[in-house]
Amino acid sequence: MTSPSASSRKTLSKIATNRLQKELMEWQVNPPAGFKHKVTDNLQRWVIEVNGAPGTLYANETFQLQVDFPEHYPMEAPQVIFIPPAPLHPHIYSNGHICLDILYDSWSPAMTVSSVCISIVSMLSSSTSKVRASCSLITIASPKKKPKCRCSDYNASSVDQRPADDERYVKNCRNGRSPKETRWWFHDDKKHSFKFRNKEKQANPDAKMIGTNETLQRMKLFKKTDGTVDHKS
Amino acid sequence: MQNQDEIPLEEEIESTTFDTAYEADDWSNYKDCDVLKQQSAIWEEDAAKFPFVGDKEPLSSLEAEYKSGSPILLEKIKVLHEQYAAIRRTRGDGNCFFRSFMFSYLEHIVESQDEAEVERIKTNVEKCRRTLQSLGYADFTFEDFFSLFVEQLESVLQGNEDSISHDELIMRSRDQSVSDYVVMFFRFVTSGEIRKRSEFFEPFILGLTNTTFCKTSVEPMGEESDHVHITALSDALGVPIRVVYLDRSSCDTGSVSVNHHDFIPGLGDTSKASTSSSGPEKDPFIVLLYRPGHYDILYRK
Repeated sequence: MTSPSASSRKTLSKIATNRLQKELMEWQVNPPAGFKHKVTDNLQRWVIEVNGAPGTLYANETFQLQVDFPEHYPMEAPQVIFIPPAPLHPHIYSNGHICLDILYDSWSPAMTVSSVCISIVSMLSSSTSKVRASCSLITIASPKKKPKCRCSDYNASSVDQRPADDERYVKNCRNGRSPKETRWWFHDDKKHSFKFRNKEKQANPDAKMIGTNETLQRMKLFKKTDGTVDHKS
Repeated sequence: MQNQDEIPLEEEIESTTFDTAYEADDWSNYKDCDVLKQQSAIWEEDAAKFPFVGDKEPLSSLEAEYKSGSPILLEKIKVLHEQYAAIRRTRGDGNCFFRSFMFSYLEHIVESQDEAEVERIKTNVEKCRRTLQSLGYADFTFEDFFSLFVEQLESVLQGNEDSISHDELIMRSRDQSVSDYVVMFFRFVTSGEIRKRSEFFEPFILGLTNTTFCKTSVEPMGEESDHVHITALSDALGVPIRVVYLDRSSCDTGSVSVNHHDFIPGLGDTSKASTSSSGPEKDPFIVLLYRPGHYDILYRK
């Protein structure tokens, strides 16, 4: 499970190597609090020691993150997983896969290893109970129906407090599948419902503007008689 | 079903259910990897059909697209013919606005060889760099994208060792390693502008802070652009942009007209209206055609 996906096994591009060297240098000068980069000579795989933030459920616990960089980093997201044993957390699977939007669809080249680490610890810190749960995979979803989030099920009465799909998901990943090959559904991220609608919009150019284009409607405050739309601020 | 190994099962699904009628598919049979495989196959198919930036086509190709479509759209395309001669399509991958802007701007420089404009925009690029620094972005996160854009800018001016032709510009715009980096450069610039002038932009961003909006809707590749993005990019770089709207809206008066909106840098915060009668010398040299969800490049007659 620690083997990177096929796509990330390619060697780093020149621009990725250059960027990672700068990133590593910055990390060494200015390491984010609570993290320790384990020194290796492998620029393409970083192992980072994470300390649970003081005053949270994970205080005094130490975990290890494995960060694998793809050929076209930072245009493509790094693959970030916990090396088991992973923290018990509603968004972390027992194989170390993490359900966090910025690691997949919402990745941006403006992010860094350091900002990703901080997001992961902040996700841990905001947890109020240590249960293995899930923010659910979209495996059984018709595109026509809104996928159902199973997160709400995790605090049910099951004895070991693991989610219904932890076992199934982990089993499916047992031959080394990368979390980047999973279609994640982020239950607390409204943006994704926009994404679905945007797809429909693209498919039908005549469709009414919706979603983020509401802002467009708000900006089109005045419509002159000659048909010119003015930008009113 | 005990001890069922799921890996062979997946293969079985691939070879069988994909052949069955679409409606008959049971979605519960699909695994993530099947869906992703199919999705990337669709993308690859699209990529083969639509380069990031297409060839220049006569406007009649747009007409052909709507042959049996809405009569209002056909009427509007007729109106477009009065002013515009050609269209250049961009791939609908969520980056179409930035990609159209990139090509349109660089093509203008190739053709006009306007050195003063290049100097002017370089000054603004420097301002954007300082904006990002003051917002706390680490230099290494954006500098590669900035230098790649400046490199393109310098190469479209002739007379340098690295000067490129119009054909070469098209090739670079279709090369992901250049094209995506320039798109990302524009995303940085847009994000910096929105966050710098948060008071101005906040009312147009629904229920989000500017920082959140930028992190979720500007900085990730593939996030679509709307008026907020265009306003910010046009203001930050000081480049006017005309967007011509081809949609099914119609005037009550009965006559069909095509709306357009000019994004004029610096006017955003003074409430000055742009007009369509400001004379040809003030008309933005970048003209984009907007159809709900997508931007392409338009060429004047």
